Amino acid sequence: MSTPTTASVGIGQELPPLVKNIPQRKIDAYSGVRPNYIHSDEAFARKKGFRAPLAQAMMSTAYVSEMMTRFVGAGFVKGGALSMTFIKPVLAGDRLTVRGVVKEQRPEGGRTRVVVEVWCENQDGVTTAVGTASGLVD
Amino acid sequence: MVEFPRLTYERLQVGEEFVSDTFLVTPEEIETYAFAVDDHHPWFVDDSPFGGPVAHPTLLGNQALRLRHSRYTVAGGLHAKMEFEFVEPIRPGMRARSRGRVVDKYERRGKPYMVTEFTTEDEAGTVLVRGRFTQMLFRD
Repeated sequence: MSTPTTASVGIGQELPPLVKNIPQRKIDAYSGVRPNYIHSDEAFARKKGFRAPLAQAMMSTAYVSEMMTRFVGAGFVKGGALSMTFIKPVLAGDRLTVRGVVKEQRPEGGRTRVVVEVWCENQDGVTTAVGTASGLVD
Repeated sequence: MVEFPRLTYERLQVGEEFVSDTFLVTPEEIETYAFAVDDHHPWFVDDSPFGGPVAHPTLLGNQALRLRHSRYTVAGGLHAKMEFEFVEPIRPGMRARSRGRVVDKYERRGKPYMVTEFTTEDEAGTVLVRGRFTQMLFRD
């Protein structure tokens, strides 16, 4: 895995997308299982107006974190940041594609903070979450 | 003893503070998380640039997100926004604790929301992660 440098990152550069299948089993491992819980109780989810249990929105932050760690490396694990807004639910059985485009580079403490516009889309092309993530490169 | 009243928008106070229990970061917890999010980066099990394995940066997000459960029974809700700053790597063997403070509550389109700022620290008080999240509350 090569770590990018300021010289190798350009504004408008697309990050390699991630594709994530999200079966109920993964949601159970992430969120736990209990009754009257929108992440694991199908009847409860239906009562709240959803056709299936919801994946925790936090799972999308983990996917963005993975994409950023693969892109900037250690400068995301220590010094990284992300900010996301969850705009549509992600349901058990969905497949998300996680994407990012570099939108800014700015100096910070002798290094460079690379800011990436990030978003998640489901299998129907519907955007489920949007935001920014950033990490430090040399 | 904690009494766990039902969390309601009316009962929730801006300025209210929460503290989680401590959570021991074990290799098994890291492995479970890696399975759940399908992210098997070698740094989680082998050496990393930080010396030894580290955990996924978002591993402890749910400790923060569930702070309100330390005092209330929660009917559930939807997570609207999340902000993280990853200050120091999370490592297996750490005992981590999150502290949060409700910094805002508001109603939008008839739905109640709460905003919490948090820090997650190791046993020495070193900040590992800090951030802020917005949650919508179900009314029943």
